[in-house]
Amino acid sequence: MKLTLLDTGAGNLHSLGRALESCGAAVAVETDARRCLDAQALVLPGVGAFAPAAERLAPVRADLAQALRDGLPCLAICLGLQLLLTASEEGPGEGLSVLPGRVQRLRARRVPHMGWNAVEGEDRLLALSGLTTAYYAHSYLCVLTDMGAVRAVSEHESVRIPALVRTARTVGVQFHPEKSGPAGRRFLAAVLEELRP
Amino acid sequence: MLTKRLIACLDVDAGRVVKGTRFVHLRDAGDPAELARRYDEDGADEVVLLDISATHEGRAPLLEGVRRTAEQLTVPLTVGGGMRSVEDVAQALRAGADKVTLNSAAVAHPELVSACAARFGSQCVVVSIDARATAPGWEVVVRGGREGTGRDVLAWAGEVVQRGAGEILLTCMDRDGARTGYEMALTRAVSSAVGVPVVASGGAGNAEHVRAVLQDANADAALLAGILHDGTATLAGLKQALRGAGIPVRQ
Repeated sequence: MKLTLLDTGAGNLHSLGRALESCGAAVAVETDARRCLDAQALVLPGVGAFAPAAERLAPVRADLAQALRDGLPCLAICLGLQLLLTASEEGPGEGLSVLPGRVQRLRARRVPHMGWNAVEGEDRLLALSGLTTAYYAHSYLCVLTDMGAVRAVSEHESVRIPALVRTARTVGVQFHPEKSGPAGRRFLAAVLEELRP
Repeated sequence: MLTKRLIACLDVDAGRVVKGTRFVHLRDAGDPAELARRYDEDGADEVVLLDISATHEGRAPLLEGVRRTAEQLTVPLTVGGGMRSVEDVAQALRAGADKVTLNSAAVAHPELVSACAARFGSQCVVVSIDARATAPGWEVVVRGGREGTGRDVLAWAGEVVQRGAGEILLTCMDRDGARTGYEMALTRAVSSAVGVPVVASGGAGNAEHVRAVLQDANADAALLAGILHDGTATLAGLKQALRGAGIPVRQ
């Protein structure tokens, strides 16, 4: 399976790329967002800040949003998930608005939400992989207009953080499956299986 | 609920993991990639790789060791040692680090912390603070404990968080390798002074020390080195003890 991994320009795609390859995918890293449009399946990775990443998506925003709504298979991780929303408190720029909502600063005593947290919810990807605890590293969370898209949550202090979100053929996760141990790898494998064209 | 983390630390000198006491008297403890894999399998929540001679030798960390270690891991890797620029950090990230720690260079150029947080995000920038007791309080030391700075640890911790550090790795140099327990008062003071996670380091001798720093000094994570390398403790055994004390840890 061929995956297009969009390089948002801010750091480590190494561990994600390798983890996806270890699940049997062929990964093409692209810096030009236009290449997302002819992807078989797309991965929006989870490193960096909202504004520069939104800027990188800007030239294809409307077309990519339409492609995702029409069923382009996509895995969106952490910041990648946040880019599916409309806007972010973290910085200027427009997201894809595939999931209506805003990204807000996490209002907790300890921020970033950093480390391993329980993922609670019903989803076949969690059941197949046995992923019960996942690794997080983020300071912002998704506040969705329609919480019906949320399949699993994690709780940090008293804040409920959407952990796993689905829309069309897009799977969005706030945690980092590629850093979440063997169960995280099984989760990625299950996602790839599901996104296969 | 967020679990408390146990982080395995690999101090690397000339490509080998070493462990010393009070930052000196180093002994060989093995190959970093091999140890990283063992600790990952044994339940380490993260691994830290510190190139301890990099700053002293005026260079960035050796990326080949970072690459080899990153390839073995299914959990996050933090890399530190000798990084002095945004470009040094970018290279460590490209080699497979998920987070970097800045130490001496952050003290010399605090704006490096701001620049890295803006470019890579706070969640990726750990500031490592080496402390030694003074009267009163604690002083920041740099260059592997070779130099005092006159800076107060609490003030410095506050400043780096203001600048965007997403985590503090707090090492009490007086305790390094001593196995007499973490520096509780220092850890508690920094943990209550800042809003970011604090990783306690220096002094772990047994499970009770780890429990105490996580439960009584409010550390978010505990760094472990010597007692893992020489087999005095295992990650699985420590986690079992912590669970028994009611501390949430990852299975």
